[in-house]
Amino acid sequence: MTAPQPATAAAAPHAAAVATHCPYCALQCAQTLTSTPGERLPLAVAGREFPTNRGGLCQKGWTSAEVLRASDRITTPMLRIAGGGFREASWDEALDLVADRVAALQAESGDDAVAVFGGGGLTNEKAYALGKFARLALRTRLIDYNGRFCMSSAAAASNRALGMDRGLAFPLADLGGADAVLILGSNMGVTMPPFVQHLAGVRSRGGLVVVDPRETVTAKLTADGAGIHLAPVPGSDMVVLLSLLHIVLAEGLQDARYLASRVEGLDEVRRSVASWWPERAEAVTGIPADTLREVARLLAAASPSRGGRGAYILTGRGVEQMAQGTDCVNAAINLALALGLIGREGSGYGPVTGQGNGQGGREHGQKSDQLPGYRMISDPAARAHVASVWGVDPAVIPGPGVPAVQLLSSLGTPGGPRALLVHGSNVVVSAPNATAVEQRLRALDLLVVCDLVPSETALLADVILPVTQWAEEDGTMTNLEGRIIRRRAAVAAPGEARSELWILRELAARLGCDALFSEDAETMFDEMARASAGGKADYSGITYARLDAGEELFWPCPASSAGEEPHPGTPRPFLEAFPTPSGRARMIAVAHRGPDDDVRPDATTYLVTGRVLQHYQSGAQTRRVRELVQAQPEPFVEMHPLLAERYGLTEGAVAFLASARGEAMARVHLTTDIRTDTVFMPFHWAGAGSANRLTNDATDPTSSMPEFKVTAVEIRAAHQLRPAPELEGATR
Amino acid sequence: MRIVVIGHGMVGSRFAQDAASRIPDAHVTVLGREPHAPYNRVLLSSVVAGKAAADGIALDAPAHERIDVLQGVAAAAIDRERRIVTASDGSLHRYDKLVLATGSAARIPQIQHVATPDGLVAGVSVLKDLDDAQGILDALPKARRAVVLGAGVLGLEVATGLAARGIAVTLVHHAERLMERQLGSAASAVAAGSLGRLGITVITTTSVTRVLERRGRVSGVVLGTGAEVLTDMLVMCAGTIPETTLARRAGLPCERGVLVGEDLASPEDPHVCAIGDCAQPPEGGSGLVAQGWDQSTRLVDLWAGARTARPRTEDADTTNVVRVKATGLEVVTMGLSGKFEHGERELRAVRISDPAVGRFVEVVVSHGLLVGATVVGDKTTATELQALYTRMLPVPADPAHLIVRPIPGAAATRRSVADMDDDDTVCQCNGVSKGRICAAIADGCASPEDVSRATRASTGCGDCKPQVKELLEAHAASEDKAPVLTGAGEA
Repeated sequence: MTAPQPATAAAAPHAAAVATHCPYCALQCAQTLTSTPGERLPLAVAGREFPTNRGGLCQKGWTSAEVLRASDRITTPMLRIAGGGFREASWDEALDLVADRVAALQAESGDDAVAVFGGGGLTNEKAYALGKFARLALRTRLIDYNGRFCMSSAAAASNRALGMDRGLAFPLADLGGADAVLILGSNMGVTMPPFVQHLAGVRSRGGLVVVDPRETVTAKLTADGAGIHLAPVPGSDMVVLLSLLHIVLAEGLQDARYLASRVEGLDEVRRSVASWWPERAEAVTGIPADTLREVARLLAAASPSRGGRGAYILTGRGVEQMAQGTDCVNAAINLALALGLIGREGSGYGPVTGQGNGQGGREHGQKSDQLPGYRMISDPAARAHVASVWGVDPAVIPGPGVPAVQLLSSLGTPGGPRALLVHGSNVVVSAPNATAVEQRLRALDLLVVCDLVPSETALLADVILPVTQWAEEDGTMTNLEGRIIRRRAAVAAPGEARSELWILRELAARLGCDALFSEDAETMFDEMARASAGGKADYSGITYARLDAGEELFWPCPASSAGEEPHPGTPRPFLEAFPTPSGRARMIAVAHRGPDDDVRPDATTYLVTGRVLQHYQSGAQTRRVRELVQAQPEPFVEMHPLLAERYGLTEGAVAFLASARGEAMARVHLTTDIRTDTVFMPFHWAGAGSANRLTNDATDPTSSMPEFKVTAVEIRAAHQLRPAPELEGATR
Repeated sequence: MRIVVIGHGMVGSRFAQDAASRIPDAHVTVLGREPHAPYNRVLLSSVVAGKAAADGIALDAPAHERIDVLQGVAAAAIDRERRIVTASDGSLHRYDKLVLATGSAARIPQIQHVATPDGLVAGVSVLKDLDDAQGILDALPKARRAVVLGAGVLGLEVATGLAARGIAVTLVHHAERLMERQLGSAASAVAAGSLGRLGITVITTTSVTRVLERRGRVSGVVLGTGAEVLTDMLVMCAGTIPETTLARRAGLPCERGVLVGEDLASPEDPHVCAIGDCAQPPEGGSGLVAQGWDQSTRLVDLWAGARTARPRTEDADTTNVVRVKATGLEVVTMGLSGKFEHGERELRAVRISDPAVGRFVEVVVSHGLLVGATVVGDKTTATELQALYTRMLPVPADPAHLIVRPIPGAAATRRSVADMDDDDTVCQCNGVSKGRICAAIADGCASPEDVSRATRASTGCGDCKPQVKELLEAHAASEDKAPVLTGAGEA
């Protein structure tokens, strides 16, 4: 076995100023890192001019260097000791232990006794290596990742309607020229603030429409004549879309020529929306019929066929994280197709990807049913191609596994996985029905967590392996536009933290797998590019050299033959045709089913969940940044004063919330920016204030996305509970 | 299971589709009298008003390998003994289950000379199907005046729709109050005022007793008061009668409609069910499509053996929302509305009556739930109350909050940065307070870029740049003044 070496030269600071991108969300704002010898932090962060962020950064990005030196950063492998707590260990000891335990469990219970859970924040290279590691070194079919909680509904809907899931199918800057932008269930004003710069044009023309049950920062961008905010009853967004399409068709506002030449399935969709006339939609959504008409006409007037400058429809997790999330996105795409928006420069549809590498993370084999290049693992041709790149017999690649919620709920159950390797995910906080997830993790024989810091999930582990992050590593990310960008190392990792690429190489070797696993990101990228060749997400024409030369490359970007000009990448797919068998986009008739866990007499209020500006995902990183914690120190529940009054709650009081799955307590923030039938909780915290103790793990039948975004809860003032015994009694 | 559905309207067609897709062994035959694919009858008045095209209201026609639709074929007779339906084309259809979804017919009141043996006098019509709507549309080009009989939902929609097309409309209604089943006196008076503003003449507490004709077309009507009203068309919106002819002939018990139990089956024959407007369930028929669709879903649940089969909600019949689709007249009622008995239930009724602007809102709350509401002329409130009512959501401790709206736009206006306190956040993206920006300016930052570098303000979404500029300008202005003042002091 290779003895661990100190951090390689590649990871050491090699220039005074390094161009990279932010560690957090999918906007991947460009940053310049400057080393600051002798300072408390090893480098200074500044925004860098780039087409997406235009030099802007939010508070998370500005303070990202703090996480490099988090006071509880893990700098050496840690092993759980009997009686609780951890002890430090050498890499050899930790890796030998993991390999031995994995081998023993697999010998006892079969290859699928070991499962892998990845993350949408991992670089493309790590995501690729992790999928390959699961299939070849562990020989398990059980791998999935937290992107299942993020983009799976949008991905499934895009694939079935457009034949491809490229996120935004256009550069972000294109939004600036549109006359209308309809945003459903995304609060980018808070989650990715620099995005808002691209909405300046549409706001100046009064064409921004935001659909959100809360008057969010993004919804407020419609104020003062900049557009319209619709605040539907939670879970009814899809009816808004069905009714908008009903109006477009009833008033003859559709793009008939485009529909005739580029789309199929209109007739069935026309009939399916016939029963959503605006007055009926009004009763379900709580949005006046005339307002729906106004929005439909605004979108139509902006559409190219009616002489407008263009229109865009964007969806976010608010409409996607539903048990009908895939159908809801298809309803959005149907509307975009009826207006002739998709595959036209200056118009379009796109989901606003959330996690840093949420796009790339879903393309290279972390998904239970996929191989690199967005290939399906059940497709014999895909298996043959990838097997040839990997140098193995296609038969050794396992078949499809199971999606995240199903995987997590099977852990430690009879016949379920006995070991889990977690990479770039804090499932105890971020998964729905979090209490149950924690119980499943505790039931495992072996939990290995790769993390920077002792996240809530890491603290449950048997083995914690310290890894590098962001400014300590090289690699690529694929942003929300489908643009491939470079992450570059600027500083050495502290202590013995090592890249997951190195860890996977070491474990693979210990498990007797001789397939290529390299610590060098570029080597892994080059193999990934070859594995993706001919797939939907074709990266084979992309190299580090091209990216480092400053080329703007969007996939698909196939390799060119010798002597040919390199492929320029595809900023705007679909302009000529859709990658479907017929070359046409498919409209798909969908029906509104409503929330799985709807309000009822013993749970009369809707809970919606989301984010605050200062925190990212489970908060494992941002809750360790003092400036962010000062600004947003603790979990809270946002509610309208009229609702609060009903329960005797005042600003700052502690509310007790109960759903069919669990309970949570959080401090009350009063605001009139929310419907009186709805409360909001951010999900960045663990413990008693964890929103995901309440959320529903019912999933979408197509995408397996859990229903994070609408849950029926009952509310009480916490002080009314004492000394009532029911708090213990009710705890499951 | 062989299912025969009689009626291919909004309820029959939906039932057929749901039954075929959810009951694996169901073979469904649909007999539809009208020669059209199913369409949205609710929107017929919108067709008359010109808000929807006649060919734009088609509904999803049932399509399934186990569904046969016979369009333009009526049912002629039901043989319950042998379980066979005879169709108007002579074909025979055996059934295990028969579903009557025959809907309702327009009620034609007792009016002298309203009809000849050939049918209604030219220019006189009801509005029950697409052909009726087409007939009214065809008569429009030559019409200047119209009488609408009946001020229920349909009558109000037709009257406002015709008025919006520039036709002088007289609305005649038998009762004292418009929509007397839903509206109390005050609400009715407010609605009548709104109609007046739309140019509609409203005559209540009387009816049309005689149709006057000239050259075979209607030329006027005589009212119960003896008054004569000249008109080019008469549209009768005097309610509907459940279509029970077939059921009665087959010996099924009928009152107003075909009697059915909670299970939607006839008490006399478990093989025959009725749903939609033709049915008379224990709670009574509402004449609203929501009730018919709910019955359709329940019947399919029942036969599919679904574990989700849900009973009709007993407490509040939440399908019971009545909404007038009319431009210039907003009327929505739900649950308890108009005149109701306070009875033994603890009811709180709170109202605003504001006839001068055409607004009336009343909410009825019982045990913390909204159990009824009447809203005239307040779209936003009506919409929010519907959401509360249909979902049985809790209402504010004081029901008055349900009907008083915040001043429109008050919350949306951006506060001037000059009015902010030093602790208030100017740059949301980076959490920069006004105080920090002012301090940076005082320390020498002279441009927005300087302020951004010093405080990170405006480096996120950039939306606060104007406010930073404003602070810079305010500072510059005060600097300009300072030397002058100082100079003055020294002088």
